Amino acid sequence: MLIQVLNGIAYGGLLYLLAVGLVLIFGLREIVNFAHGALFMLGSYIGFSIAAVFNFWLGLAGSLVAMTVIGIFLDAAVLRPLRKHDHMVTVLVTFGILLVLEAFATAVWGKSFRSMSAPDLLSGTVQIAGEPFPVYRLFVIGVSLCVAAGLTAWLRFSRVGLYVRASSVDPTTTAILGVDTDRLSLIVVGLGTGLAGLSGVVAAPLMALSPTMGNYILIESFIVVVVGGLGSFSGALAAALLIGQIHNFGAIYLPWASTMLPFLLMVGVLIWRPTGFAGKRT
Amino acid sequence: MPLLAFDHVDATYGQARILHGVTFHVDPGERVAVLGRNGVGKTTIVNTLCGVADIQAGAIVLGGERHTSPRHYLAARSGIAIVLQGRGILPNLTIEENLLLGASVDRPGRWDLGAVYDLFPILGERRQSPGLGLSGGQQQMLAIGRALMANPNLLVLDEPSEGLAPVIIDELADLFRRLADEGTAIMLIEQNIGLIQRVASRYYVLSKGTVVESGDLAGMTTQQLQDHITI
Ligand SMILES: Nc1ncnc2c1ncn2[C@@H]1O[C@H](COP(=O)(O)OP(=O)(O)OP(=O)(O)O)[C@@H](O)[C@H]1O
Ligand SMILES: [Mg+2]
Repeated sequence: MLIQVLNGIAYGGLLYLLAVGLVLIFGLREIVNFAHGALFMLGSYIGFSIAAVFNFWLGLAGSLVAMTVIGIFLDAAVLRPLRKHDHMVTVLVTFGILLVLEAFATAVWGKSFRSMSAPDLLSGTVQIAGEPFPVYRLFVIGVSLCVAAGLTAWLRFSRVGLYVRASSVDPTTTAILGVDTDRLSLIVVGLGTGLAGLSGVVAAPLMALSPTMGNYILIESFIVVVVGGLGSFSGALAAALLIGQIHNFGAIYLPWASTMLPFLLMVGVLIWRPTGFAGKRT
Repeated sequence: MPLLAFDHVDATYGQARILHGVTFHVDPGERVAVLGRNGVGKTTIVNTLCGVADIQAGAIVLGGERHTSPRHYLAARSGIAIVLQGRGILPNLTIEENLLLGASVDRPGRWDLGAVYDLFPILGERRQSPGLGLSGGQQQMLAIGRALMANPNLLVLDEPSEGLAPVIIDELADLFRRLADEGTAIMLIEQNIGLIQRVASRYYVLSKGTVVESGDLAGMTTQQLQDHITI
């Protein structure tokens, strides 16, 4: 039982790393980024390739850095020029980016599944409540919690964090008050994309790598964002942990319905509370 | 050189053209009123200044530089702080955090948290509570305090008296006069004649998106001003 809860936390942690990037980008650019799952996938492959030559840790760091740079480029070259258009246009463009990245990954790494193993340091199991539990999953939980704690502290106590919180509720007013939201957006989209890359590498030893590996987890991340309340960082953390448990226990006790459960939760939450757990914005 | 000027500005929201050839200016230390009925385009002047409405012809001039496509933050970063109609309080931030947002432009000057709390003690007492819990008058204090945190050369106020009790409007009038005496220019967009008369020395009348009249307030009777607003 405890083992199952921990499995759920590990998966929820991955969802959080992705969802928080969506929340960051949604807050500032007011768009749903359909490319986010593909960026997760790209981060995974970049980590895989670096790890194949060097080691897992360099793969992790290299992917984080590369994806942050790609995020900054995404904001400067795509999102900013499109800001005057209908948000729907930008959303469709991010969908286009998803398709391009999938084609790119297929061309470079091929269609067949690849796998990446955990580093020696993190392989093996530990005994928890008398049962074996993979060390690597503890690592996943640790990374997610560290990111959650770091991000929360940054948002709460730093100046830039204050600007991010303000613009996640009202980017126009925040900018009118003098916050350079173009620069802020570079930071935010860079950070969100970097976290997608990080979660891609962290997830790699747990799942098979393929050009479409980001699709299902992206949909669950969307559900996390909606359930948590659009634009809410703490809501995303709570929702990710909840959906991690549902994902995991659903797979054990209701396997035929397990992929449906997160959707049902979303519909239920939207009926009960249309703005999500912590939602303020309609 | 004016702090802010509009030079024959046509402005639109999408396809809807709201401003037609609007021209006006505000010099350093001046107290200027813009008046006009509901829906004539007063707020659109503010929205044009901060890049929310689009400039189709003409330009806005900030400190001598012409702009035809200003970013939202340009005015604030050029020393023009705006108190938006509806106040624009960020509901998820505390009072203190709302004020700190105003200081994001990093302009030196006499206004900081302490100075704003001296001016509006109620904000200091409730600094950790959310901005939305305040009454209308207190929210207006917060919006004004936040604008002052930017240490502006020019304070633009869009209908600050809206929804406030007369006694609070009187206090605002005194405050705006004092700020102007200390050197901060005031651009007061208003329909409240009493407030305009107590604060401004010069005025522009806006009608159907065009400036139809301007001049010194000294020679104007209350009735004459009233005629521009109520028809
Ligand atoms: N975002 C918008 N998109 C399209 N039209 C708008 C928008 N905002 C305002 N308008 C229209 O522009 C015109 C001018 O509006 P504006 O808000 O500038 O008037 P106002 O003089 O500030 O009025 P009030 O005294 O009620 O504040 C109105 O006809 C209004 O319907
Ligand atoms: Mg208005």
